Amino acid sequence: MSTTDALLVVCAMALVTYATRAGGIFLVGFVPMSARTENFLRYLAGAVLVALVVPATVRGGPEGYVAVGVAILARLVLRKALPAIALGILAAALWRAYMGAS
Amino acid sequence: MPPTSEPHPPGATLTWAGCWRGARAILPVLPPVFVFGIAFGIAARGVGLEGWVAALMSMAVFAGAAQFAVLDLWTSPVPWLPLLVATFAINARHILLGASLRALCQGLSPWKVYGAMTLLSDLNWAALIAAERKGERDLGYLVGGGLLMWATWVSATVIGAVAGGLTLDDVKTYALDLVLVAFFATTLVGLRRGRVDDLPWLVAGLAAMGAVWFLPPNWHVMVGGLAGGVAGLIRDELKRP
Repeated sequence: MSTTDALLVVCAMALVTYATRAGGIFLVGFVPMSARTENFLRYLAGAVLVALVVPATVRGGPEGYVAVGVAILARLVLRKALPAIALGILAAALWRAYMGAS
Repeated sequence: MPPTSEPHPPGATLTWAGCWRGARAILPVLPPVFVFGIAFGIAARGVGLEGWVAALMSMAVFAGAAQFAVLDLWTSPVPWLPLLVATFAINARHILLGASLRALCQGLSPWKVYGAMTLLSDLNWAALIAAERKGERDLGYLVGGGLLMWATWVSATVIGAVAGGLTLDDVKTYALDLVLVAFFATTLVGLRRGRVDDLPWLVAGLAAMGAVWFLPPNWHVMVGGLAGGVAGLIRDELKRP
């Protein structure tokens, strides 16, 4: 790919990506503000996060389940995110060390 | 404003203090961002991008998954359609992220809102959504976290493009990919309001997995998010007397 083409690709990608970043707040501006809209947007935030976590966990295999399971448990018990993430990763690393790489 | 019982929350703000809080919240995920950035720099050089083009891409696009994906399409002549479709499909989830930030943009000038959105990404969005549940009303939270991630991502790309020696397999060995998932999962715990979230979240998870199995790659966040949101809305409408 020539340098000119490469620069054009980078510009096009940047434009498309920014359109997705700005698109959400732009589009939602056309929806009338109501209790129903608020309600939907509130569910949306959690649902998006679930949709990020579940496939990534499954793709991670046994270590994914261990890391996420331990992190969630630790977050519930300790009520702090950072140590919970650390414990989740530690558990996955131990699992990998003793059960072998999947 | 009179100190009466106001049913709506006050308008959002965008301050340096908010930026600072957001930057601090994002610290735990900087190591994986850094390592993925290095991996991207190496991979980009591997398919023939010049180092400065890779760095420019990280600066202007700032979307790891899409950047990795187009490396597979880095051929001559440029496959414009697949390349742009892939970029859009992978980044389409940003539309949902942005839409969910409506309350946090309320009352801010358009240039602040659309300026802040240049830095919108899953991680700083998740951090902000979790903080919002605890009363955060400052869009700077998104900006501060985003700026720190952006600086990390760009500098790591440069390092990767200049140096070398690490591959994506190494990243997997060090479980760094799992840091991001664990971060999102713990955020989810803080976001949960109770039983009311059970059904939408279940639907979101099932729909996301369905999309992974039956749809082209990268639509699962969009499909799962919308399905979960709609499920919650329909359930509430049916319960309404």
